[in-house]
Amino acid sequence: MSRSTSTKDILTSPIFANNPVAMQVLGVCSALAVSNSMQTALVMTLAVTFVLVFSNVIISTIRNFIPNSVRIIAQMTVIASLVIIVDMVLQDVAYELSKQLSVFVSLIITNCIIMGRAEAFAMKYPPHLAFVDAVGNAIGYGVILLGVAFVRELLGRGSLFGHEILTTVANGGWYLPNEMFTLPPSAFFLIGVMIWAINVVQSKRG
Amino acid sequence: MAFKKDSVLGTMVFIISLSLVCSFMITGTAEILKERKLVKKRDEVKQFVLNAAGIANSSADFRELFTSRVQPKLVDLESGEYIEQENLLDFDSRMAAINPETSSKPKKDTAKIKSRADQIRIFEVFDAQGELTSIVMPIYGKGLWSMMYGYLAVEPDLNTIKNIVFYEHGETPGIADFVTDPDWTSLWQGKKLFDAKGKIAIKVVKGGAKAGDVHGVDGVSGATRTGVGIQKAVEFWFGVEGYQTFLHRFAKAEEK
Repeated sequence: MSRSTSTKDILTSPIFANNPVAMQVLGVCSALAVSNSMQTALVMTLAVTFVLVFSNVIISTIRNFIPNSVRIIAQMTVIASLVIIVDMVLQDVAYELSKQLSVFVSLIITNCIIMGRAEAFAMKYPPHLAFVDAVGNAIGYGVILLGVAFVRELLGRGSLFGHEILTTVANGGWYLPNEMFTLPPSAFFLIGVMIWAINVVQSKRG
Repeated sequence: MAFKKDSVLGTMVFIISLSLVCSFMITGTAEILKERKLVKKRDEVKQFVLNAAGIANSSADFRELFTSRVQPKLVDLESGEYIEQENLLDFDSRMAAINPETSSKPKKDTAKIKSRADQIRIFEVFDAQGELTSIVMPIYGKGLWSMMYGYLAVEPDLNTIKNIVFYEHGETPGIADFVTDPDWTSLWQGKKLFDAKGKIAIKVVKGGAKAGDVHGVDGVSGATRTGVGIQKAVEFWFGVEGYQTFLHRFAKAEEK
């Protein structure tokens, strides 16, 4: 956790220095599962952002009323309700996409980033800071997710957001897609590489 | 008295009010989306029926096509008669099939559906000249893992299959999801449901149907049980406990 509480730090530190996926290794399950195309990654990021922001703000608002003995349950209740709402809205506006994301939208409930931020931050700080923290962490999650999805979709299918970038052999081009990148293990390697890169940069900065 | 949040009472009050607020949030959202969901459900039914009837509906005018070409009808399976009912597009077939008042246990449950609705919604499909081109009938039955739901369209001779589509199943992805693949469902087109004696004869043949076999559809290796499930579903729904009475009545009415 960042020790300083300046608003700017709260926003920027989770993006790289204290990235929830890369540094705290939270929410990796969904990052592996939905990062095989940019579109699903983007929608997942938006869903997580919505849940994270609202759960953080709501929990932070009621933090002084939450009894200590049931605080985790109270957090779960708020998060679960938000996830159900996201799931319903997603099924309404983008039914096909929600099918592709399948269980992973519902599994946002168990995404440790959200629980983690609620317990570690929203319970201790006022709503406006909790909001900033949520946005920062959502961006951090999104950066990793979209970064991984960028590489996976480009190398695995030769496309981005479904638009062909590298013309594949199947379509008469030159690029032979590396299908390993469409499978979950590749996300492991990519996240690993990202963790390494972020660590190197961090240690250089001192 | 100040609110003691960590007392037993405080905890109870907090949790109860939180649960109430959260449940209102969810039901509120559900209520707002309800109407839109209904429209979507109707659209889905329309598209699948048009698909089953072999009418190209990639364009956005499928709603119009549906209204002009398709007529939903409610059939009583026991008597084979049509039943008048309003708002058939919103007819909830699933509910009808599990509600004990509107369903009954099949005597020979070959399709493993457990309970069958007494009344089934079918669709009569007409061409642009108003001539009947096919009847789209829902079928469903258990595959290896899951209930498979689909529509089978027969031509006006009540024997030739126009098309078959499945719109919901939970079979093994990558192995048994060929049931929604047009390459496979097109194999059904032109096959005959019944043999010369009027007995149901359609078969999903393991290892591939012989060329020229009007009753055989190629099975897919690795998904034998799914194929068997589909065959049994068709057998059930076009058997005595399915549409047989209706089909006989329909044929008679056509002769007149």
